[in-house]
Amino acid sequence: MLKITNIHKSFGNNQILKGVDLEVNKGEVIVVLGPSGSGKTTMLRCINFLERADQGSIEFDDIKTDFRAAGQKTIRDIRKKSGFVFQNYNLFANKTALENVMEGLTVARGVPVKEAEERAKNALDRVGLKNRYDYYPSQLSGGQQQRVGIARAVALNPEVILFDEPTSALDPELVGEVLNVMKDLAKSGATMVVVTHEMDFARDVASKVIFMDKGVIVEEGTPEKIFTHPKEERTAQFLKRILKEDYRADQDSDFTEKDDSLLAKVFGGGSGKKAYNWGVC
Amino acid sequence: MEIESGFMWETFLVALSGIPVTLKLTFVTLLISTPPAFFMALGKLKEHKISSKVIGFYVSFVRGTPIVLQILFFYSLLPTVLNCFFKNILHSGYNVFAWNPIIYAYTVFSLNTIAVLSEVFRSALLTVNAGQLEAAMSIGETKFQAYTRIIIPQAMVAALPNVGNTTVSLLKNTSLAYMMTVKDITALAKIEAAIGYNYIEAYLVILMIYVLLCTVVQLIFSFAENVLSVYKKRLTKTADKRTNYILSRAAAVFAMLRAV
Repeated sequence: MLKITNIHKSFGNNQILKGVDLEVNKGEVIVVLGPSGSGKTTMLRCINFLERADQGSIEFDDIKTDFRAAGQKTIRDIRKKSGFVFQNYNLFANKTALENVMEGLTVARGVPVKEAEERAKNALDRVGLKNRYDYYPSQLSGGQQQRVGIARAVALNPEVILFDEPTSALDPELVGEVLNVMKDLAKSGATMVVVTHEMDFARDVASKVIFMDKGVIVEEGTPEKIFTHPKEERTAQFLKRILKEDYRADQDSDFTEKDDSLLAKVFGGGSGKKAYNWGVC
Repeated sequence: MEIESGFMWETFLVALSGIPVTLKLTFVTLLISTPPAFFMALGKLKEHKISSKVIGFYVSFVRGTPIVLQILFFYSLLPTVLNCFFKNILHSGYNVFAWNPIIYAYTVFSLNTIAVLSEVFRSALLTVNAGQLEAAMSIGETKFQAYTRIIIPQAMVAALPNVGNTTVSLLKNTSLAYMMTVKDITALAKIEAAIGYNYIEAYLVILMIYVLLCTVVQLIFSFAENVLSVYKKRLTKTADKRTNYILSRAAAVFAMLRAV
């Protein structure tokens, strides 16, 4: 359904993406992992043309184009087929939750206001914001804002929804509500590409996990395969580091030393993270 | 020295009749200045090298020269230059000196206000984070739609306090129009005072008038800001009622505007 080939992107002398291929099929939930600076976010932004890739091509249903050659019309067509959820929510501050969700329907797609309102309300209900229609973003918590952000993408019935670290800007106790909404979405058959550091989510929901480092895809496969038997050394190292941090955050773990567990109580509690033993630690 | 209260009252009444001219100078200038200032702000943001340099030069030139000097320049020099132009180049008998002097006043004040407002609008546009532009594009809007529906409405609200300040200082600056024989509040009071050398009384009178006018302008702007920035207010338990009230007022205003 969506296929990008050989995507390159540099910022100045800094080469961020060095030839990434990605194929997304209908109903798939792809989780992209990797250390910061590995190009995960840039790849996502290039798919939606928020950054213009230097090289590579994209195939989205019947649209087929080179990244550099794509004109405004093609770009908008691709954007209309995809939803984007931002790390910092990026809600329209001058519009209420309902208007935020309606905006893409009425303005960009010409849906009649009545119908748009209904669809927007449905989307907001789905993310559990039934009684927050008329609230402005400044009157909502971070988790609620991100859920509006998800509703804004979902209401457009996109072929694929791109999530750019949707929980990274949230307070730990708000991460859960957003992840739950995303899990429900995945269950309902939505096609998703998710850049995240939430290992729980990757393990439970992903149909495919992709590990990126230094601008290339190092390894990809099912969650079990990646988490339990990583083939590449770099993947194993990354997972070890991340999962160890998860371990530390868990106050019941025998592995944590006294000081660590105190720190964990202060900083790490309540994030819903569990300790795993998948053989990599 | 004695203050003549009778003269003060008379002058007050005369000066009051200058209010329409002062207000006209202020608001016509604002109307003339807003569109070019706005496009200059956009031009400067685009970082086209040449246009933003030209605009930057204009802004620093206008703001770097005293307004009195600009008035002297435009009011004494420009008519002569224009006269030469009509006479020697176009060979027409057109009389530049018959123009209403208020035209020169509009010119000088507009040149100033454009420079100030373009900076006000530029900084206001910068207050809206770029993420919202990206979000608007990601849901399929064109750049034009994103700007007109998301960015500019927020920037205009952010600009309101500074536009209010600009309006107040413009209103005060229009008192210099007397130098161009425009009969505004200041000019009328000075003419009255010149008859019997009662300058102190005349100045006291117009001081009060200016204070009143500026206060009213400030009140109007703060009211507008209050109504339009509804979306910035957080809902707290104590502020709930007030916010709801403002929300309902704003909704009423919007409904009215839509009906018009």
